[in-house]
Amino acid sequence: MLDFVYDGSFNGLLTAIYEIYYRRQVPQQLLSRSSQTPKLFVREERIITDETKAGKVYEAIDNKISSRSLRHIYYAYLSEHMEAGIWIYHYLHLGWKLGNKLDLLLSDERVHRIHRLSQKVSMERHRLLGLLRFQLLRGNIYYAALEPDHNIVELLAPHFAARMADQNWVIHDVSRDLAAVFNRKEWLATDFTRQHRLELLKEEEYYQQLWQEYYNSMAISSRINPRLQKRCMPQRYWKHLVEMS
Amino acid sequence: MMEILKKLKILADSAKYDVSCSSSGSKRTNQTGGLGNSASSGICHTWTADGRCISLLKILQSNNCVYNCSYCVNRVSNDLPRATLTPDELCDLTINFYRRNYIEGLFLSTAICKTPDHTMEMLLQTVKKLRKEHNFHGYIHLKAIPGADNLLIEAAGKYVDRMSVNIELPSERGLRLLAPQKKHEAIIKPMNFLTSNIAAGKAERRKSRKAPLFVPAGQTTQLIVGATSDPDLQILKLSENMYKRFGLKRVYYSAYVPVSHHPHLPDISSPPLLREHRIYQADWLLRFYGFKADELLDDKNPNFAEDYDPKTDWALRNLDYFPVEINRADYEKLLRVPGIGVKSARKILTARRMHSLDFEDLKRIGITMKRAQYFITCKGKYSGPTAMEEHLLRPRLTLLPPHTAGPEQPSLFSFSSDVIAPEDAFTSVSGEI
Ligand code: SF4
Repeated sequence: MLDFVYDGSFNGLLTAIYEIYYRRQVPQQLLSRSSQTPKLFVREERIITDETKAGKVYEAIDNKISSRSLRHIYYAYLSEHMEAGIWIYHYLHLGWKLGNKLDLLLSDERVHRIHRLSQKVSMERHRLLGLLRFQLLRGNIYYAALEPDHNIVELLAPHFAARMADQNWVIHDVSRDLAAVFNRKEWLATDFTRQHRLELLKEEEYYQQLWQEYYNSMAISSRINPRLQKRCMPQRYWKHLVEMS
Repeated sequence: MMEILKKLKILADSAKYDVSCSSSGSKRTNQTGGLGNSASSGICHTWTADGRCISLLKILQSNNCVYNCSYCVNRVSNDLPRATLTPDELCDLTINFYRRNYIEGLFLSTAICKTPDHTMEMLLQTVKKLRKEHNFHGYIHLKAIPGADNLLIEAAGKYVDRMSVNIELPSERGLRLLAPQKKHEAIIKPMNFLTSNIAAGKAERRKSRKAPLFVPAGQTTQLIVGATSDPDLQILKLSENMYKRFGLKRVYYSAYVPVSHHPHLPDISSPPLLREHRIYQADWLLRFYGFKADELLDDKNPNFAEDYDPKTDWALRNLDYFPVEINRADYEKLLRVPGIGVKSARKILTARRMHSLDFEDLKRIGITMKRAQYFITCKGKYSGPTAMEEHLLRPRLTLLPPHTAGPEQPSLFSFSSDVIAPEDAFTSVSGEI
């Protein structure tokens, strides 16, 4: 048996898909990195990312299937689900036949599981549009840390670039060492590790305190319902919420 | 600093019973490199300990009221700490909360300070400052004050995304008894005024994209459930009527929270949450499912059942409408099936364009069959676990959690939040019924 291993980038994944057709060889898995535990009877093949090959696949999806499917694929990729790679291949394989009808075939598992991944990612994005918290640092930079399930920093950035257009900000995915950085004109995604402790501006604590006060006074004590609260706002996001610390 | 903290606590505390909090439906963009825009689908920023979404900074500008509505904590005769925020203080709070992404915008309401005109003037100043001085484009929902000069309301309408006038109580009689200073006509007047101005504003925008926005996210209202003896039927008919007459975007319902004892107020210990919940479900049915108030309730049964959501209840009384064939029924008909919501119905329409669907297909595309299975056929086949007869279906579809079903059921008013079954609880928020 055979696994393809690509470099984790979206172009890498598309290159791997190109190779499947070129080599006429369908692997068991398309992995973003080598599996931790060596598997018996499984050979791993490294795929070298190639922009031209990736570009061809990208164009083909956009032209022969639809831009909507392309979006589903990108979101499914960002889910970082272990099997996302190979599922995307099977989804596309069906797509070459069905063209822009692909996404109508909701009852087919190959379509359904991609939609499910894509939806998970867009749900988390939507959630974090609200749950992201900026803190004002020395030097007038608004800094937000997050540890999302999926790799969504790039999906958040355009929203905040439009909204907080007159602020310098950094949105930092702490678990992936990635960030989107905005300078009041444009944003870019970059590798990012925080070197030292955050130095908050003095007024920052004041507004945090006000927000906590506000948050606490909004609860209606006769209706307290922690189960409902956790269902709406899963506990794993609480760590970076001013009002929950 | 401490001063603001204290004021914030007092004024947030007074505002929290106001339930309308959604921020969706506006289209204000940030063209000037200023601060903020409004998202077309609402964004929740956090959830309170009672599980409600916080989207907007919901606050009163002042709780220093000259009126004496007996159902309200802020009534003049109540002994309670009072506070008023200046327009500048309010702007500072809004802007700084917004910059940190705590909120989607501001929902500003207030008690009646001195006179309606004075009060409306104060609100107007605040929203004008936010837009003009702070270059703020985030969402603003403002209360219009009944009895204030139309000119003031019109001026404020140019700066805000949504306005609402609270109808408060479902009947004039209720108003007379509980809020003697409020007049029914005084409430209806600004609603009418807003309706025609919003329509005029829209017409202008159609002619020119540059025409100024006037309350682009429309008008809403709120009423209190359970402070008067008005039955659900009357409440629902009132809403139906207001949707038609004023083109309201939403009617919000708020279970009466007992705040005082008064001969005209019901003597209850906790808010009638289940009742509020049922009315919300029915409200969705009015707005998106093609139901009429008269279909859901009548004079013989003027109140919603506790143990069935309004759609299931209707279905059980109208079994001759069923079963609905999934592969042939049109959208309207699909929507009548208990458990098939707007999203599910759309999914079915999409999926069956490819091929006809059986039960397994339905499950695979994510339709919950728990309720629906009793009311549908797929390719002519019925596969509910029991025959479609009322006495067989009723026990299977009841929503009461097992420990409360039984001879000594608690009365409607004693329901606390955990008595609404989980599968039931979300439908009044999601609208998928
Ligand atoms: S007008 Fe009535 S409902 Fe409004 S704050 Fe004053 S007392 Fe309360």
